[in-house]
Amino acid sequence: MKVSCLQENLSKGLSIVGRAVSPRSTLPVLSNVLLATEAGRLELSATNLEVGINCWIGAKVEEDGATTVPARTFIDLVNALPPEQVDMELVVQTQTLNLRAGRSEANVKGIDAQEFPLVPVPEGEGGISIEADALRTAISQVAFAAATDESRPILTGVLAKFEEDQLTLAAADGFRLSVRTIPLPQPVPDPFSIIIPARALVELGRISGEQEDPIIITITPTRNQVLFQLTDIVLVSQLIDGNFPDYRQIIPQDWMTRSVLDTAAFLKACKTALIFARDAAHITRMHVKPGSDLSPGHLVVSATSAETGDDVSELDANIEGEGVEIAFNVKYLIDLLSVIGTPQVALYTTTSSSPGVLRPVGDVDYTHVIMPMHLGR
Amino acid sequence: MPIRVLPEQVASQIAAGEVVERPSSVVKELVENSIDAGARDVQVETRAGGKRFIRVSDDGDGVPAAEVEIAFHRHATSKLVTAEDLARITTLGFRGEALASIAAVSRVTFVTRSADEPMGTLLRVEGGQVTALQESGRPPGTSVTVEDLFFNVPARRKFLRTERTERRHIDAWLTRYGLAYPGLRVTLSHDGRTVFQSPGNDRLRDVMIAVYGLEVGAAVLQIVPEEPPPEVRVSGFVSPPALHRANRSYITLFVNGRWVQDAGLTYAVIQAYHTLLPSGRYPLAVVMVDLPPADVDVNVHPAKSEVRFRDGDAVFRAVQKAVRRTLLQRSPVPITPSAPPATWPTETSAASQRREQLAHLRPRQSDRQFQFEQRPAVGAPGESVLAAATERLPPLRVVGQIGGTYVVAEGPEGLYLIDQHAAHERVLFERLLAERERAEVVSQALLNPQSVDLSPEAAGMLEEHRETLDSLGFEIEPFGGATVLVRALPALVAEQNSDPLQVLEDVAAALVVGDAPLSGRVEEAVARQVCKRFAIKAGQVMTTAEMEELIRALEGCTNPRTCPHGRPTMIHLSVAQLAREFGR
Repeated sequence: MKVSCLQENLSKGLSIVGRAVSPRSTLPVLSNVLLATEAGRLELSATNLEVGINCWIGAKVEEDGATTVPARTFIDLVNALPPEQVDMELVVQTQTLNLRAGRSEANVKGIDAQEFPLVPVPEGEGGISIEADALRTAISQVAFAAATDESRPILTGVLAKFEEDQLTLAAADGFRLSVRTIPLPQPVPDPFSIIIPARALVELGRISGEQEDPIIITITPTRNQVLFQLTDIVLVSQLIDGNFPDYRQIIPQDWMTRSVLDTAAFLKACKTALIFARDAAHITRMHVKPGSDLSPGHLVVSATSAETGDDVSELDANIEGEGVEIAFNVKYLIDLLSVIGTPQVALYTTTSSSPGVLRPVGDVDYTHVIMPMHLGR
Repeated sequence: MPIRVLPEQVASQIAAGEVVERPSSVVKELVENSIDAGARDVQVETRAGGKRFIRVSDDGDGVPAAEVEIAFHRHATSKLVTAEDLARITTLGFRGEALASIAAVSRVTFVTRSADEPMGTLLRVEGGQVTALQESGRPPGTSVTVEDLFFNVPARRKFLRTERTERRHIDAWLTRYGLAYPGLRVTLSHDGRTVFQSPGNDRLRDVMIAVYGLEVGAAVLQIVPEEPPPEVRVSGFVSPPALHRANRSYITLFVNGRWVQDAGLTYAVIQAYHTLLPSGRYPLAVVMVDLPPADVDVNVHPAKSEVRFRDGDAVFRAVQKAVRRTLLQRSPVPITPSAPPATWPTETSAASQRREQLAHLRPRQSDRQFQFEQRPAVGAPGESVLAAATERLPPLRVVGQIGGTYVVAEGPEGLYLIDQHAAHERVLFERLLAERERAEVVSQALLNPQSVDLSPEAAGMLEEHRETLDSLGFEIEPFGGATVLVRALPALVAEQNSDPLQVLEDVAAALVVGDAPLSGRVEEAVARQVCKRFAIKAGQVMTTAEMEELIRALEGCTNPRTCPHGRPTMIHLSVAQLAREFGR
C-alpha cells in the first residue's frame, strides 16, 4: 500500500472513526484503525463490535493495499504532524506503516488487515431517507432518557418506529420517558420497529454535525444491524433484540393543570435548586399557584438540604386549572430543559403522585414524561 | 445375584465408613468418649500420622468389667436409653457406633478400670473379632489403642493422605476440643514429640494462647455477655479489627460444646465486622453458642459437624449482635495495654485545655464540638450498629505531619501515626451518616409498575413489614404468589440504578437478621460521596490548627480506628514498644 493524503483530512477522518475504537478489548485488532485504499480514496474504519464507523477521505493512491494500526498511537501521531501532505507506505512483510510529512518520518507497527472484522457497508439502492437536522435534534431530545445501566438491556436502547411517513423515537429509563416524532420525506411501505443502542445514536448525532444531505437508513437483511449512511461516512450499529415497553400507555391523556413557563427561566431555577437538591436525592418541589384576574400565576421551585441549606425561586407562569404541589428529580428537568429547543415549555400535571408531562409550546411532536418523587410516609 | 442380608462384619465395615474416615475421625470419636466420661486429662499419642498407632488415654469414669464386651457392639451406648432422650442430649456422642466402627477396621486394645473396681480389664479386638479378654492393671480411666487402621479395608487405606496431612487433621480436632473445654487438659504428641498441650485451667484465653500464640491470644477480645442472660448464650473470643486473616477458616464455632461447620453462623461473625475490616480479610474468632438442647438437632450427620436449629434466625442474630457489641465496647484495645502514667493529665482536663487553646484560634470551634456531643442516637428501626456509644480515642497531641500524608500525634499510650485521608473519611462518614438518618426519605415513582418475582421467604417477610417498607420509600403491592408489583423505589436506590429484585431480596434478608434495611446501601453511598468529594487527599499540607481539628473530630468518632472501607486510620506504637525497639 502506498497512498498520500492531506494531514487535515486524515486527522478529521480519524476523529470521526476514533470514537468507535474499543479502548480495551481482548481482541487486539479492535484497538486498531483499519486503513484501506479504495478507488482513489482512503477508507478508515473502526469498530467495537457494537458500533462501527467507516469514513472515506480523498487520497492519491499509488499502490492498493490495507493494514490496521493502533488507534491511540496513530491518532496522536497524525495530530502532531505538520499540516502538509502525508505519504504512507506499508512494509507488508513486517506490517509496518511508514509515514512521511514535511521533514518528519515515523513508523507505526500494525496488525494484518485480514484480522479486522468486516464492517458491513450498504449494498445497492434503497433505504429510508431522513432529514439530517431533524434526526440530530430528535436524537438529542430522546437518547438522554435511555437507561445507562445494563440490568435491563432493552432500556439502554432507543425505540425507532417507522410508520407511514413518520419516524418516532422513544427512550425510557424507568423513571422518565422521551418521545419524538419526525416526518419522513417518503412513506415506508410497511411499518416496523427497531431498538438502537442509545450510545450508537449519540455517536451518530456527533458525527452528523456537518451533514446537510439527508441521511439514509438501511436495515441489514438479517435484521440485526442498522446502517446510517452519511456523505463519506457510514455508521453501523447492532440492534437490541426484544420488545420495548408500550410507551403510549405511559403518557397520560388527561391533565388538571397546565403551566406555561419561560424555558430559560425554568432551567435557571432548576440549576439553582440543584445546588441544594444534590444532597437530598435531587428532590425539588414545584408549587403551581394559579393567578387571579389581576395577577399572573406563579410556579415556585424550591429545594432543601438538611446539610447545606435551601432555596426558593418564583417564576411567572400562565396557569390553567387548579393549583398543585409536585416534586421531581431536578436532574431530569435540567436534562429536558437543556434540549427542548423552544422559548416556552408547558408542564401538565394532575396530582402530586401522577406523572408530569412536559411539552414544548408550539411543537406537538415532542413529549417528555417524568415520574414524581415524594417524601416517605 | 440373589438378595442376601449382609453378614454382620460387612455391615459394620460399611457403617464404619461413615464414622471413621481417617485417623483424625478415630481421635475425634475417642476424645469425645473421654469427654463424655468426665475426663479432666486426655492424652493423645500417634505414630505415622495415626495410620500405624493412635492411643487416647483419659482419667474418666472407665467401664465396669461386665460391660466391656458390650461396649463394642453396634448401637451400644450408655448415653441414652429412649428416643426421647435424643431431644435433650447433652453428651457429645449418642449413636453407639464409634467403638464398634473403629474396631471393625483396625486392631484395638481397650484397657479400662472403673473407679469402684479393684482390677481393670483388657480387651483386644481385631477387625471386629475379640481375640483377648483378661484382667489388667490400670489407674481409673480408659485407654484405647488403635493400631493398623484400615488393615482390612485396603480401599480406604489408599485414600489416606500423607502423614503430615493426617497429623494436621488430628491437630485441628484436638485444638477444637481444647478450645471447647478449657477445663480439660489435652495433650497431643506425634511420634513421641508433644506438639500441643492445653493448660486445663478453665481459662479460654490461655487455651487460645496455646493454640494461636501469645500475640493473638493476648489481643483477642472476650465476647461481652448479654444481661440478663438470654436463651441463646454467646461467649468466646473474637479478634480486634486490627487483627485479621486471609480466609474464614479461623472462625471456629461450637454449639453446646460441639464443633460445628455452619455457613450461616460464620457469616454472622463476618457481618459483625462490616466496615471494620479491609475487603477480603476475615476475623479470627472462637465462638461458643449455648442453647437448650431441645432447640438444636445434632443428629443430622454421623460425624455430627452439622447441626440444625429450631430457630436459626434467632441464633444468627444472637451471634451477630454479641460480636458487634463486643467490637464496639471492647475495641480498640491498645496493642500493649498499660495504665496511663500518673503524670499525664486526665482526659477531660487535657481535652478542655486544648479546646480552650483552639477556641482562641477559631471562634466557631466550641459550637462544632457541641454539635458532635449532641448528636442524637440513631433511631432507625432495628437499631443501627453505629448507634452504640463506645470507647473512643484517647486525647492526642499533634506533633506534626510527615510527607503531607500522615499526622504524627502523641497520646497517653505512645505514638500515633494517622493517615489523614483515611481519618478525614471516617470523620465525614460518621457525620454524613448521622445527617442521612435524620433526613427525610424520598421516594421515586416508576414509569410503569414493575413486577418482581421474589423468593417465597422474602415475599412473606416483606408482606409482614409493609409499614417499614413504606417508611423506606418503597411502594409495593402483592401481585399473587411471591410476585410483587413495585410502584416506587427509594430515591437512593433509583439513583444507584439497582435491580429492584436484588434490592428487595436484600431488604428481606436484612429484616430476617434484624438489621436496618438499606443501611448497607446508605453507607455505601455515603462512603463514596465522602471519598470522592470531601475528604482531604494524601499530599495536602495542613496547618497545625487543621491537624488538631481533624484529630479532635476523630476522637469524637464511634469507630475511629478504621476508614469506611475498612483500612486502618492509624498505627499505634505504644510506649512499651518504643522502649523495646530502642532497647531501653
